[in-house]
Amino acid sequence: MVGAFYNPQLGAELAAAKGIDHLAMADPPAAHDAHWPTIRERYTLLLHDYLGQLSEPLDERSIERARSLATLYRTPWIAEHFQCLHTEDGRYNINYVFPPLYTDEFLERFVANARALQARLEQPLVMENIPGFFDVKASQLPEPVWLARFFDATEVGFLLDLPHVWLEAHYRGMKPEAWLAQFPLEHVVELHVAGVEEDEDLRGPWIAPTAPSEAMLAFLAHAVTRCPRAKAVTFDAFSPSLTADVLFRSVERIRGAL
Amino acid sequence: MTDRALQDLVLRALADASFRASSAWRQRALADPAKVERFARFLARHFYYERIVHFFKYSGALARVTGRRPEGTLRGAEFEALLPVVVLGSRQTARAVADLVVREVKGGAPVASIPYRDDLLRYEAAMMVAEAGPRVWRENGKGEEGRGTGVPETAEGTVLLDLAYDLPAVLPQLLQPWTEVPQAPPRPVRLLVARSPRGRVAVARTDSAVARVVELADGRRTLEELARAAGLPRNELEATLAGLTDLGAVRFGTGS
Repeated sequence: MVGAFYNPQLGAELAAAKGIDHLAMADPPAAHDAHWPTIRERYTLLLHDYLGQLSEPLDERSIERARSLATLYRTPWIAEHFQCLHTEDGRYNINYVFPPLYTDEFLERFVANARALQARLEQPLVMENIPGFFDVKASQLPEPVWLARFFDATEVGFLLDLPHVWLEAHYRGMKPEAWLAQFPLEHVVELHVAGVEEDEDLRGPWIAPTAPSEAMLAFLAHAVTRCPRAKAVTFDAFSPSLTADVLFRSVERIRGAL
Repeated sequence: MTDRALQDLVLRALADASFRASSAWRQRALADPAKVERFARFLARHFYYERIVHFFKYSGALARVTGRRPEGTLRGAEFEALLPVVVLGSRQTARAVADLVVREVKGGAPVASIPYRDDLLRYEAAMMVAEAGPRVWRENGKGEEGRGTGVPETAEGTVLLDLAYDLPAVLPQLLQPWTEVPQAPPRPVRLLVARSPRGRVAVARTDSAVARVVELADGRRTLEELARAAGLPRNELEATLAGLTDLGAVRFGTGS
């Protein structure tokens, strides 16, 4: 399957579109979204909302929300992220995906909490890798090793975000293919691909809701051949500024690259 | 120190510019300080971009008249000057950023066609400030949702807004296509802006009785005392408190 994210401002275009197999849902549909019934009827929908950070167990309310959205979307799998973005006491929240320390303690936390969540869901859980802009010295394991241990210890699938891998390789001065080869690709169920853009604050490239470059598409083509269980590729752009032209052309180019 | 506590330190350093500059953080040498600073600035702009676009969306819809987009604030020198003291999510920073946005929008073209502009900016800024502050991320059985059995207390961040124009009557129209600026009826309204423990901001029209309860619920007065002070029968007070609790405007202490 090749698809994109459901961007509500493009609801009319997506409701009538051809060539898109699935839509990932980052937010629940708005009550006034006139296109939602058609979208729901027409597409395979993938639950990709913020459910909670699995450094802590999800509470009953969050689990019920996940179950309810999964039923609404009839999703084949449910996605969450390897992230820890707010402090345990709730006082500080960076409101942006941020990876946990890659340590044994966090591995135990994520394994236990993912298993507990999976046990409450009717659909398989998949987890997405999150890029680090800087290394934290307290991390004990390379990210790919930590991820491999996580997937080996759970029944959870891998949602491989390729721009995240590409960015990490860039900031490590490595070739993306070489960095990718270290990840546990045998667990990949879905791949994300998108563009990157220069950011003034970071003084370098970062995640952006833009079209993938030719180099990124070539990286995708390379990655897919190494992910034997992959079922879907998603154009990972979700933004009010995204245009129909960029979304449809990107999906078409992704399909062409595959 | 546990790894979870170390992660919290990193998150605090990214969120709190003063902590990031402190020796308490720097001496730990957990990460390249230049990269942490760059990422923190990126996060600050992202954090407040999302909030400005959301809470000032009505001013955003009026940008073709005012000539000023609220989020333009984030590329200005004044926001840059704020970065060394930013604490992501704090009420103080939210107030400072909201003030910058108000100044940015007011600095645009004359707005004779938007007589309610100042009211609108006050309303939007109040929403943004109300949303700030620590929040409950997960239930822990301690009744954070506000239905305890103790004395009622107006929640921090709850605001009563007295406006000269009936904004709720015009706000939905601003987000629809329009050629002439939709007008707000010039009649006084009092609005209550409140936030749930999980961060959901709600607005409701209110009257003087409700406003009195909000002003008097100080976490010390019992229900009897509050009913007397507000001049409300007990059953009416309880109904009012139930509505205020649902909005997040009032919480009940546990009494301990």
